[in-house]
Amino acid sequence: MNLDFVRKVEKLSGTSVRRCFQCGKCSAGCPMRSFMEHPPNRVVRLLQLGQYERVLAGRSIWYCASCETCSTRCPNKVDLAAIMDALRKCSWDAQGPSKESFVQLANRIFIENIRTYGRQYEMRLAAVFNVKSGQFLKDIMLGPSLLAKGKLKMFHQKNRNIHEIEKIFGRIEELRRKGGAL
Amino acid sequence: MTEPKHVLDYSYYPGCSLHASAKEYDESTQRLFRTLNIGLQEVPDWLCCGATPAHNVDELLSLSLCAKNLELASGVEGDLAVACAACFSRLKTTQHKLETDTEKRRQVEFAIDGPFPKGKRVKHLLEILARDYGLERLGAAVKKPLSGLKVACYYGCLLTRPPEVPELDCIEAPTIMEKVIEAAGAETVSWSHRLECCGANFTLSRPGVVLKLSADILASARDAGANCIMVACPLCHGNLDIRQQEIEEASGEHFGLPVFYMTQLLALAVGVRESKLGLDSMIVDPKPLLKDKGLL
Repeated sequence: MNLDFVRKVEKLSGTSVRRCFQCGKCSAGCPMRSFMEHPPNRVVRLLQLGQYERVLAGRSIWYCASCETCSTRCPNKVDLAAIMDALRKCSWDAQGPSKESFVQLANRIFIENIRTYGRQYEMRLAAVFNVKSGQFLKDIMLGPSLLAKGKLKMFHQKNRNIHEIEKIFGRIEELRRKGGAL
Repeated sequence: MTEPKHVLDYSYYPGCSLHASAKEYDESTQRLFRTLNIGLQEVPDWLCCGATPAHNVDELLSLSLCAKNLELASGVEGDLAVACAACFSRLKTTQHKLETDTEKRRQVEFAIDGPFPKGKRVKHLLEILARDYGLERLGAAVKKPLSGLKVACYYGCLLTRPPEVPELDCIEAPTIMEKVIEAAGAETVSWSHRLECCGANFTLSRPGVVLKLSADILASARDAGANCIMVACPLCHGNLDIRQQEIEEASGEHFGLPVFYMTQLLALAVGVRESKLGLDSMIVDPKPLLKDKGLL
């Protein structure tokens, strides 16, 4: 069996995929298991069996909430939350045929906002998500009360050090181009 | 010789939410700390920690953003006080990973174009209040004991995690929130969903997830006899407070539970004026409960 993908995930996550002995404790405590087609322990089992395409194409990795309950409770110290991060990165980099485009879209806008403004611009995050996901009226009923309560800031200033932040993004891209970056 | 201005001094990383949707958390934190004579100096030009979206798909970016923040924080005296549970978890995770993984550190140092700053202690506000300031001193500062409040202390996921850096409290059965609010005279309830996930940032992409998970949390708190919930995380607050009415409509259940930031309740207890507690920013109106208990 080809273990290249398992090794890549282990390198990215800094944890062992092979050490999992399938006790299922991660899935027992996972708050998101009912939204996943493969519960967390099966995600690891599929990796162990070399069937990673099934994992990358599915929605389980995008429905992980990163709550870290699994990593906290694993009796064999497998950091499953880090494995989920690594799998999402593999899927993200490959622009793979994931079933969960809304979560990816939200992540993309969130990261764009950091690059453009430095700090998160919640109002823009929600507005751009609605436009790009085609759900123009999503949460529209919450808008007026949030505005009235002063919880939605219409205007948002860029950080003074935004050029330094841009350089961080640029250097990460440079590392990636050279290969060998995380 | 002049007396030191404050009893304790910290650098302060509020995080993005505290300047927008969680402004009452920032406001009540500043008021509480001023009343307790604890200094907070905001880190200049701090940036977003990357939160869940960055580490979800790009660990190097997540680590670099946090390392940049730690570098900026190293220019301000004192341990770094962090209000948001997610920022707290990301900053601690970054320190842990960069101290243990030389390859990751090398790449991050390239990205931020400088050495990874070591030695800054990152502390959640809870830790500062319970340990540094101390429960006894906190109890002594209370002017208006919160009697009549039955508080469900909600930790959520990230206050006690990651598991390899469990510095705040026990990872599975923490009691720090209960201790802090009991010191202010409130009663706490024993309940099952203290550490369950609220649905976190699915509030943007898949709000249906939040409607289910947060409904379970609200029901658990109500069934345990709580008359309010206390949180220490802006995202938990958003899901339990802002979406509570929607959750009630979707589940057909009634909760009516005000969701306080822990600093709002503590500030109330130490005598901060009502108008400075940010109570008007809360969606589930807490005033009927507080008036009923003679606290307003």
